[in-house]
Amino acid sequence: MDIVQKFIQNAQSNPARLVYPEAKDPRILEAAVKVYEQGIAQPILVGVPEDIAALAAEMGLSLEGIETVDSKTDPRLDTYAMAYAKKRDLREAIAKKLVRKPLSFGGMMVSEGAAEGMVAGVATATSIVIQTATLTVGFQEGLSTPSSFFIMIIPDFQGESDKVFIFADSAVNIQPNAQQLAEIAIASGTNAKALLGIDPKIAFLSFSTRGSAGHADADKVIEALTIAREINPEFDMDGELQLDAAIVAKVAAKKVTESSVAGQANVLIFPDLDAGNIGYKLVQYMANAKAIGPILQGFAKPVNDMSRGASVEDLIAVSAITSVQAKG
Amino acid sequence: MSTLDRIKNVAAELLKIEASRVKEESRFVEDLGADSMQSIELVAAFEEEFDIEMDEDAALGVKTVGDAVSFIDKVIAEG
Repeated sequence: MDIVQKFIQNAQSNPARLVYPEAKDPRILEAAVKVYEQGIAQPILVGVPEDIAALAAEMGLSLEGIETVDSKTDPRLDTYAMAYAKKRDLREAIAKKLVRKPLSFGGMMVSEGAAEGMVAGVATATSIVIQTATLTVGFQEGLSTPSSFFIMIIPDFQGESDKVFIFADSAVNIQPNAQQLAEIAIASGTNAKALLGIDPKIAFLSFSTRGSAGHADADKVIEALTIAREINPEFDMDGELQLDAAIVAKVAAKKVTESSVAGQANVLIFPDLDAGNIGYKLVQYMANAKAIGPILQGFAKPVNDMSRGASVEDLIAVSAITSVQAKG
Repeated sequence: MSTLDRIKNVAAELLKIEASRVKEESRFVEDLGADSMQSIELVAAFEEEFDIEMDEDAALGVKTVGDAVSFIDKVIAEG
């Protein structure tokens, strides 16, 4: 079965309450109605209710059963402003101006438990989505870095069909330091488990294998592995590894001794965004792989960013993923 | 108080720095140390001070205190 279909089925078995702060966009309305009808999530739309109703009528959509909230008049505004002002140590009047904005209000709904996840970005720059999520939702325990991952489905990998890998970070952190790299690995391992149900075998990739190169860039990767093991000693991780030593058993057998990851890694942590971004596109276009993402990670509760060109189908797929992340 | 002085005070309060450090030519990020998240809060703080609403994308493109003065004066003039 198609992996997106799997996410949809998983979401349907336990749909989460998801907030959509860009209800002015017709794609959001259409996706929210479909997500609701298919039982993928319980959508909450943020916007001016009269405008949303007018747009829905124009599009011939029924919003029955879908909650709409007006971030500028909502009775929770004062509570949210107070909580935000306290968290960030700023005046409540400023906080109120901030949380009145639909995206921030959506983030506060997630933070305060009125929603379990957020899908945004069709009308907002990625950087603003990430920063607002950082300010409102905050980070998963032990983490302080927002990052992203791609689910890569390789049609033919060493004789195995539709092999699934996680690639991170291929979209957000340009030059992660060792701490950030460690956090990217931990978040990616957590998602591999929660979202894909796979037992993560995490490889910290480099141009060097176990000290073969002796370079500061490889040292960063080694340090990241040490930090990651401190954050979560339970995860199966190894590094630094060249890509072939990480995923090809025959190469691993020659280059690496005593590793439960080498040769069988399924979560690939790239040392920087040059490698991560080029890497996923290489595999996507040269190996005809399906790339699903970027999916954001690291936040205390799931927030996903859509590209401005996202289709209704993209929104439904990401809603399903966010729903599964929220319940995972 | 002029728009410039009000902006200086708001920036000093939000960034927790001395108001005297904030000059017309100061850049919010490089000179005043605003991080990307404080930049989002600065927009809200200016909105609160001047009782206006600004386009977030455009407002985040403003780099200096002086540019903020003309940006905000324009928003006020357009009502």
